[in-house]
Amino acid sequence: MKRVVVDPVTRIEGHLRLEVEVDEASGKVNDALSSGTAWRGIETIVKNRDPRDVWAYVQRICGVCTSVHALAAVRAVEDALSIKIPKNAHYVRNIMAGTITAHDHIVHFYHLHALDWVSPIEALKADPKATAAMQDTVLNTYSIPVKNPEGYDFSAYPKAFPKATTAYYKDIQDKIKQLVDSNQLGIFAANWWDHPAYQILPPEVHLMAVSHYLNMLDKQREIVIPHVIFGGKNPHPHYVVGGMSCAISMNDMNAPVNSQRLAAVETAISLAADVVNSFYVPDALAIAHIHAQKGSAIDGGGLAGIRVLGFGSYPDEPFAGHEDFASAALVRCNGVVEDFAQGLNSAKYTELTGKDLEDSAVITENAKHSWYENNDALHPWDGETDPNYTGDKNGNKEKWEYLDKDNKYSWIKTPKWRGRVCEVGPLARYIIVYTKVKKGIITPTWAEEIMIGQIDHVSKLLNLPPEKWLPSTAGRTVARALDAQLAATMEKYFFDKLVKNIGTGDTNIANTLKWEPSSWTNGEFKGVGLYEAPRGALSHWIVIKDKKVKNYQAVVPTTWNACPHDDQSGNGAYELSMIDTHVAIPDKPLEIVRAVRSFDPCLACAAHVYDSKKKTLSMVNTDPYIGSGKV
Amino acid sequence: MERYDSIWDMYKKKGISRRSFIKTCTAMTALLGLAPTMLPDVVKAAEKRLPVVIWLHGHECTGCSEAFLRSGAPLTSDVILNMIALEYDDTLSAASGEPFENHLQEIMKIYKGQYILAVEGAAPPDPKGGFCMVGGRPFVEEVKEAAAGAAAIIAYGTCATWGGIQAARPNPTQAVSLNEIVGNKPIVNVPGCPPIPEVMTGVIAHYAMFGNLPPLDNKNCPKQFFGNRIHDTCYRRPFFDAGMYANDFNDAGARAGWCLYKLGCRGPETYASCGNMRWWNGLSYPIQSGHGCIGCTSKNFWDNDPFYTRLPEVAGLGLGNIDKIGAVATGALAVGITAHLATSAVQKRKRDQKELEDKKKTAEELDRISRRKD
Repeated sequence: MKRVVVDPVTRIEGHLRLEVEVDEASGKVNDALSSGTAWRGIETIVKNRDPRDVWAYVQRICGVCTSVHALAAVRAVEDALSIKIPKNAHYVRNIMAGTITAHDHIVHFYHLHALDWVSPIEALKADPKATAAMQDTVLNTYSIPVKNPEGYDFSAYPKAFPKATTAYYKDIQDKIKQLVDSNQLGIFAANWWDHPAYQILPPEVHLMAVSHYLNMLDKQREIVIPHVIFGGKNPHPHYVVGGMSCAISMNDMNAPVNSQRLAAVETAISLAADVVNSFYVPDALAIAHIHAQKGSAIDGGGLAGIRVLGFGSYPDEPFAGHEDFASAALVRCNGVVEDFAQGLNSAKYTELTGKDLEDSAVITENAKHSWYENNDALHPWDGETDPNYTGDKNGNKEKWEYLDKDNKYSWIKTPKWRGRVCEVGPLARYIIVYTKVKKGIITPTWAEEIMIGQIDHVSKLLNLPPEKWLPSTAGRTVARALDAQLAATMEKYFFDKLVKNIGTGDTNIANTLKWEPSSWTNGEFKGVGLYEAPRGALSHWIVIKDKKVKNYQAVVPTTWNACPHDDQSGNGAYELSMIDTHVAIPDKPLEIVRAVRSFDPCLACAAHVYDSKKKTLSMVNTDPYIGSGKV
Repeated sequence: MERYDSIWDMYKKKGISRRSFIKTCTAMTALLGLAPTMLPDVVKAAEKRLPVVIWLHGHECTGCSEAFLRSGAPLTSDVILNMIALEYDDTLSAASGEPFENHLQEIMKIYKGQYILAVEGAAPPDPKGGFCMVGGRPFVEEVKEAAAGAAAIIAYGTCATWGGIQAARPNPTQAVSLNEIVGNKPIVNVPGCPPIPEVMTGVIAHYAMFGNLPPLDNKNCPKQFFGNRIHDTCYRRPFFDAGMYANDFNDAGARAGWCLYKLGCRGPETYASCGNMRWWNGLSYPIQSGHGCIGCTSKNFWDNDPFYTRLPEVAGLGLGNIDKIGAVATGALAVGITAHLATSAVQKRKRDQKELEDKKKTAEELDRISRRKD
């Protein structure tokens, strides 16, 4: 038995440490530990501030999934103050949500995850001419057709398309060779490039993918242009409570949004679709298919096959409050699916309504293995958040050897649904919608139809039923690509709605009736903002008392996924995925970091709560995570 | 693996003569199809090496790295492959864990006194607090160690420059800026939450082109990016001067793109390139998208809240005379603007006084020299 530590895990957001116990003879992982190794305390910082400012503070929880916390925050405040936003603002927010989802997934796949599959060293062995031919095959074999919603379509031809020529691939190869020869590998330095897993793909796929890595590095910035136009910048675009700030006018020269600005947004949206359709989806599918054919990366499913959770995504029209969120959603992944890996017949769906979220029996939290005091599994209402940093297994606080897996070992807590840990994310969304539709629980919306079509397409291609490929490392990576394709379609859909609505003469962008705090009554107001972020189910919870923030809690996707194990329910999603992963060379646990990166870890999101004063996180009846100092 | 500063360095270390090196360069010149007169340039290129950059992440959100990736000119791919050798970076580096940490040690040793250290994020100073652990040890120790051997240090973003969001009251982790951790080294401060992408890469482009760090102001911020207030470069400034304001986000003033001062805009106090460079090479900036500036390059801006309260009413900004500008809201337009202009002139003068004196001295000196020549 060998204990292997990976710290820091790179190509993620934040600070993550992994420890695994591997049987050297069989390559089986017997135990695994995931630890969030930093926290900052943003929820404490927003206390006693103006609720209208909160989005800006909590947006800084994460700059990779930028804008997701701002969106959840303004929704939480609007829920608390019963503010319904104008249609235009709602559509703009959905365009921005689709933009970050497509963008975040693209950057994750090419710049954070690709090097787990692809090696620049292997790319040197490729024949540029054969690569050009293979690019053609990849496009023909692995593209998934998705019907765009009817509406404006100004793109005459795909602006982003793979450059499948021999000369191009030769140039890229020469550049890689130059880096290798100069011995200045830069970002490519010191990796386990000799790992046999890099031999699974033919050299031409490596060269193609490295080319796309570089190409996408420069293209991704254009995809995010809707954030720059509507929110002024990226990362961290600006929002306002009650709507958006980007006033609309066709009669004023200096208006934030006019016809030309809308055309620029449309151009960026078309580009996002081009990139996802011509690069991302075919690349991810080709890599996953070749690996699956060789029995690689179809492990690592872990908790995905056992229990997944979602809140619902893309409300079609402005909604009244969190109770109406799921019913307004175009993607109704609001619920939990258990035992999907056993096949559709055995899979069990349980709905998660707005009322459920308010129900303190539905969700509890356990801090037994987190660096907080009180080892009891507490109901969040009674939760406490007194930090109790204990260092490593030997109590060493400055220099760790191994973490103390039987006791405390992470700044992340363990959230639970009905006493059980759950996985969240694009994979969860797809599993839930697929289960609901195929079991006849819902009649699919146009968006859900796209999702079912995508899954059926991939299942046919891989020649595997969804329950075999979806809950796996490769499945998680493919589901993210499908999610990006859906997101680009959503951008287009809401862009059309925005333009049509402006065309009716409605230029309202913010509901400012309750803008001034003087228009609010004193007293206590509670709200929750929900959003299916790129990494999964996100919820922000606010208590406003006498016009100030009394309490704030963010429950984020990576908390669900990266949590320490629970003594009753077992390991969380990261840990179970690692345990479910075969390791070829214990000293070079490439499969382990690949499995964990398939979740797109976002640690600053997961571990951001701090409250030094005991019991100050008094919570509200709308908040199932009460007082827990959610991490 | 042995590392070489350049092809010439490799030749030296392998004991191959300068003569052979020049011969190789001659062959390369021919191979590249260049005229023989280009030989000196080829020799120079072969002697050259990309500057090594080590990029550390502390208490941050990775938003600065994401901004860095968004650079349009120079393009990020050109920066990380042809302007620098980014040998250590949590966000982009392929390697993880032990080999990655060993690589850091190796790089710090080989390029001691030569590498550029880029730091993103603040640092919780207590090594026993466990607030920010990297590779099983406190971030604060890692950054001190890396700073010791650095030729130059860049603090990227408001967290590294001023402490940032985690240092906002009540600063639960007692997080501090890089300057407070590494006191004895010159640091180039590039504040912003995040900074404009091209400001971040611009610092590196300057280094790549001129071989030195860009000129800095008295806060160690590059003058070319932080020399003016947004207010002085804002396309909505004429509306301020004319007293035309948006009063809420949905009114006629907001639609017409009038000044956002009354909605809390921090443009009058914020030194940044948002007004001139803008984001995405001129596409927009928060004010152009209808939202006031929140002052994200300023020290302690997170505690200058509430953000939607206009400047004079915000406690703690210490604006002195600019308070009178509040009168603008109540109709005493002329008084307000005069006061504002006076204040702005005073601030500007204070800020630039030393610089002007220095410039004057230099000009006079040059003048003397040239006269002597005559």
